[in-house]
Amino acid sequence: MPRVNGPLIVQSDKTLLLEVDHERADDCRRAIAPFAELERAPEHIHTYRVTPLGLWNARAAGHDAEQVVDALVQYSRYPVPHALLVDIAETMDRYGRLTLSKHPAHGLVLTTTDRPVLEEVLKSKRITPLVGARIDPDTVVVHPSERGQIKQMLLKLGWPAEDLAGYVDGEAHPIELLEDGWTLRPYQKQAVENFWHGGSGVVVLPCGAGKTLVGAGSMAEAKSTTLILVTNTVSARQWKHELVKRTSLTEDEIGEYSGTKKEIRPVTIATYQVLTTKRKGVYPHLELFDSRDWGLIVYDEVHLLPAPVFKFTADLQARRRLGLTATLVREDGRESDVFSLIGPKRFDAPWKEIEAQGYIAPADCVEVRVNLTDSERLAYATAETEEKYRFCATTATKRKVTEAIVRRFAGQQILVIGQYIDQLDELGEHLNAPVIKGETSNAQREKLFDAFREGEISVLVVSKVANFSIDLPEATVAIQVSGTFGSRQEEAQRLGRVLRPKADGHQAHFYSVVARDTIDQDFAAHRQRFLAEQGYAYRIVDADEILADG
Amino acid sequence: MRDDASLAALLRSRPDLITPVPTDLTQLATRAGTRASVLRALERLDRFALQTAEALAVAPDPASYDTLLGLMAGDAGDETIAGALPQALGILREQALVWGDDDRLRLVRTARELLAPSAQHPSPTGLGPTVQEATSGMSPGRIQEIVTTAGLPSTHDSVSAVTALTSLFTHRKKMAKLLAGAPEAAQEVLSRLVWGPPYGQVTAEPAAHLRWLLDRGLLLPTAPGTVVLPREVALHLRGGRAHRAPEPLPPAVAPAAAHSPQVVDATAAGQAYTALATVEELLKDWDEGGPAVLRAGGLSVRDLKRTAVALDVSEPVAAFWVELAYAAGLIASDGEADERYSATPAYDEWLEQPPAERWARLAQAWLAATRTPGLVGGRDAKDRALSALGPGLDRSAAPEVRHRVLSLLAWLPRGAAPDTESVLARLRWERPLRGARQDGDDDLRSRLARWTLSEAELLGVTGRGALAAHGRVLLGAPPATGSGSAKPGTTGTGAPAAPGATSTGAPTRGATSTGAPAAPDAGSPVPSGPGDKLPVHHHRAPDRLAPLSAPEQAVAAAAATRLLAPLLPEPLDHVLLQADLTAVAPGPLRRPLADMLGVLADVESKGGATVYRFTPASVRRALDAGQTAADLHAFLAEHSRTPVPQPLAYLVDDVARRHGHLRVGAASAYVRCDDDALLNEILADKRAAALHLRRLAPTVLAAPADPATLLEGLRAMGYAPAAESAEGDVLITRAHAHRTPPRTAPEPVPDGPPPPDATLLAAAIRAIRAGDLAATAPRKQAGEPLAGGELPRTSSAETLATMQAAVLTGDAVWIGYVNAEGAASQRVIAPIRVEGGFVTAYDHTADEVRTYPLHRITGVAELADD
Repeated sequence: MPRVNGPLIVQSDKTLLLEVDHERADDCRRAIAPFAELERAPEHIHTYRVTPLGLWNARAAGHDAEQVVDALVQYSRYPVPHALLVDIAETMDRYGRLTLSKHPAHGLVLTTTDRPVLEEVLKSKRITPLVGARIDPDTVVVHPSERGQIKQMLLKLGWPAEDLAGYVDGEAHPIELLEDGWTLRPYQKQAVENFWHGGSGVVVLPCGAGKTLVGAGSMAEAKSTTLILVTNTVSARQWKHELVKRTSLTEDEIGEYSGTKKEIRPVTIATYQVLTTKRKGVYPHLELFDSRDWGLIVYDEVHLLPAPVFKFTADLQARRRLGLTATLVREDGRESDVFSLIGPKRFDAPWKEIEAQGYIAPADCVEVRVNLTDSERLAYATAETEEKYRFCATTATKRKVTEAIVRRFAGQQILVIGQYIDQLDELGEHLNAPVIKGETSNAQREKLFDAFREGEISVLVVSKVANFSIDLPEATVAIQVSGTFGSRQEEAQRLGRVLRPKADGHQAHFYSVVARDTIDQDFAAHRQRFLAEQGYAYRIVDADEILADG
Repeated sequence: MRDDASLAALLRSRPDLITPVPTDLTQLATRAGTRASVLRALERLDRFALQTAEALAVAPDPASYDTLLGLMAGDAGDETIAGALPQALGILREQALVWGDDDRLRLVRTARELLAPSAQHPSPTGLGPTVQEATSGMSPGRIQEIVTTAGLPSTHDSVSAVTALTSLFTHRKKMAKLLAGAPEAAQEVLSRLVWGPPYGQVTAEPAAHLRWLLDRGLLLPTAPGTVVLPREVALHLRGGRAHRAPEPLPPAVAPAAAHSPQVVDATAAGQAYTALATVEELLKDWDEGGPAVLRAGGLSVRDLKRTAVALDVSEPVAAFWVELAYAAGLIASDGEADERYSATPAYDEWLEQPPAERWARLAQAWLAATRTPGLVGGRDAKDRALSALGPGLDRSAAPEVRHRVLSLLAWLPRGAAPDTESVLARLRWERPLRGARQDGDDDLRSRLARWTLSEAELLGVTGRGALAAHGRVLLGAPPATGSGSAKPGTTGTGAPAAPGATSTGAPTRGATSTGAPAAPDAGSPVPSGPGDKLPVHHHRAPDRLAPLSAPEQAVAAAAATRLLAPLLPEPLDHVLLQADLTAVAPGPLRRPLADMLGVLADVESKGGATVYRFTPASVRRALDAGQTAADLHAFLAEHSRTPVPQPLAYLVDDVARRHGHLRVGAASAYVRCDDDALLNEILADKRAAALHLRRLAPTVLAAPADPATLLEGLRAMGYAPAAESAEGDVLITRAHAHRTPPRTAPEPVPDGPPPPDATLLAAAIRAIRAGDLAATAPRKQAGEPLAGGELPRTSSAETLATMQAAVLTGDAVWIGYVNAEGAASQRVIAPIRVEGGFVTAYDHTADEVRTYPLHRITGVAELADD
């Protein structure tokens, strides 16, 4: 008789549906996590997707096709289509047919266990310029500088190479974790361990789950000079602050390499922006990569990694690389480059799970729907297409609603986040709150952040400059009035602002104010999809309710 | 005498012999000896029986059983072959291909002609002609030379010389001594020719080692520049074996993987359910008018692509589903003027049946179908594309191969999936001649077998490659067979029905007449053949399942239905609604629920479960279908196992709030007036009733009539309306002349062709006169002595009769022959064979064997006696 009580349903499009309330759901999740990407995690049924990348990730982590097939067959409620099992086995079998390794005489070589595969890839026009002489029928020399390029190309051809060429140790530098009064959380330890064991790769953790500490933990393992790449200067300062606090590193050992400072120290934190600055057609700051014999390179927010950095990263394949991110979803779809250049996924934990363990605060997500007034509707209808979003996102009614919400949570730490400076200035004026925007100097920013942290200011209005990596531990309410169109990861980042655990166990609130029946609402739906899929259900309320309460 | 049982066995295995039923044994024997029938019988032999027949064809006629065994097993002997040979011989006897008792085995003459090696048809054995055959044209002097060089005493005539040479070549020890003295290069030449092809090229001045061989008759010349290795020499070098690799045993079907029978049955059941769902989806997709029928018949490539996308499968798989639904009678062309495919009334009946019965119907249709969807996308012999549902997809071998493949699967232990290549190897062993002549990578039977395996998996007859219990029962095998202990029933209950069912294309009478010379030979074995020595069913392969007759198939299908039914998932009546606006049905849904959800939400993923996504568009679709927001809320609340998430309720309300806010209708004219009262007055007027005016707004009336009618109507009522243009101006009406677009004047159409001019007339008359002259010129009477240089002329019937007589007597005849370029010549030929409109004959004029088309032979005359 078929097993009718499994928690897993295997779909023909290679998605896996996991019933979370099932008694064996946890076992099942553990069994499929290595090879299936969690795509959606709403309340009852989680959706995982089996992709070639996921299967290769699993192969890289030492799982074989049999384990994958077993997991599916064991937990599946209905019989698994044979074709799908065959396909999985075939896909997994493609990984590791080609291996990059060190040859004592020839340096970097590409070897194969299956000669026709090598023949096939060598016929490709894009592989030919990357390889040198054929040493024997199964081995071909690869130019050491093309190690990243060839991995990218091979992945595109569907024959991902296993990189066993190893890493240079880099210049040693003592780094220890100072665990006085705190310790790495179990999942952080696990993440560090998995990364170190795997050599290079990506750790996926939700915002607020302490990715910086995973970075610090990895540095303590590497004990070598480290280059940390972050999204912006504020984030760089935060990394520095955190490293000084949590490790044996002192202020002097950590350099900042940004638009304003160009320090190169044993641990250097650089921004993506300065690296990708182009002058007269060249990237003048690229020498940073060669300025020291780095033993470890940490990429913060991998999903934002700009395209040129991929290119430099391709040349850095001999160094250990750690990617940190909240999501592997990239708006530009370059997930495969992350896989081939930084490395396979080494660890991930879904938000809800870490929330359940009490490491991040539970959040109440609310979408407030605002009705446009009749005159606004007419104006919206006649607005130019490119102006439409701006128009509906900055409608005056939103201001009133925002004020009402701020009144409701008076006394708590509130962030108001928006896209349009005019709107933010106006809000700042009405709420009597300082505004942080692009033109605010870094010193001023840090001053305001400190004041907000200390509780001297309870409301802060921020533009998208504060989207990333700022650490505002006591913000309990975030109000989003406008955003960068339908960006899913921006929504995730903003929610992350309020997800850090609160000292008093307060519930976090995330309000998104949306103009009804406009493209604002469509964009909001797109932005929320990611979070709804992560299990953060949005409630919808009418602006009238909020206004009536206030 | 053949007894009734063995006669029945013959007729069963060669069903073409009784269509039409022969009047007596002589007629049966004649028919059994025709080339077409013998070919057909040879094609049905398995590889070992065929190899046995080939060996007999190179053996002396008649040959003893021991000679045959020697040819098959070689000098060294082989127990397996010795064990299998009686059975193979039995098959040949049953098929009436071999006659005579064990001391004097004879292959039917037609079969011998077909299988014996000749220059035109190289034998699969790779053997050349015998010494006697190869030396037939050689001068006696040369033969004597050879005999002496070979170390034999010279004789006074060629016949005894050839006999001596033959006995030397067949004597293993003497021969070994002779060959021991051969130069190394000569040995090498022999080893190159030994397994065939036995022919080689030599120059006019052969090298020393070749000369050594030629001098001893180890190589004999056939034509200038060509030599052949005589059969006896080759056999000596082969250790007596006629075949390099005799295959006495059928290759075993190797299991590639073994799964637990439960897993296999469950997987197959799951796939069976998917099959039902897919067919339903296909028909649903075509519900409101399917794709158009191409003029040549079938589906266009674009429609197939579209269907494949709709079903989310590849195109070949889509073609399979379409063809399956067609074979099961669920879809057909509607026969309208613009022909389209659509569901048949049978589909509606089918839908009402329980799932297991629906499956059984599909599976039965599949088993019996001759249509092969695997061909779709390919091209036929005339390079026309083969389209799904189109013509040219029928392959009569398909049901037989399908049945055979599945019964091979049934023979494996339960849960074992076969290795595809071993199944194909087995099929090729069973019918080595069938379809094997294609040059392509795979012959038709192998392709059919591959398709069978993949289609069986799609349909859920097999699961994980192994035959499921319900698939086993469907074939008529008991569900628990396999593992070798319990043999599947070989009662052959289907036998009486089988010959009628399998006879395709009865042999034509014409075939009998061309094969006439063979008749006397073939006639004799039947009365004197010792066929009764062998039990008739003895040599049936034990793993063979007889195809079922129609009523038996129905019983088997019912049994399969009973086995399958408990394995199919029970339809559910609930879904799980989630805050991300999806609904998950964790299994198949009851039909009304599935239909409603299909309207209310978009299907996002299919398989064991179905994931639906609610979007504003999908909710609007439900509202358009006449549901209200309250209906939708009630529906969601009723069928959700969990509370309806707030965003979903909001979505429904939001869409419902705006739904129908704007109204659109059709009107072809309007009445506009700033004075409400006047419009009131018009509406109240009884005479306006015919205009069907409707008030849209206080100052606007709409009418379904066109503006001109409306104007007239209003004028008739005594009003003075003015027409309005699209811009709202008053339209001034004026008479307007009507014109066509630019046209050319018609060309005159004369009656018949134009009158001919003088040149044409003169040429035509000349041609007619010339033809007339040719027709009325006096002809020479046939049979009259011919003047030198003139071609013999006889009627074609006469030519044929003379040729056939000459074959029998072995006499030479004189023919007139016109070659392809139209050049006439006279030749003296000794006909060897007349078949299929060709005469094969030894041409004394050219001194070689040639083949002449009968229609090019102007006439024939017997040679005057010397």
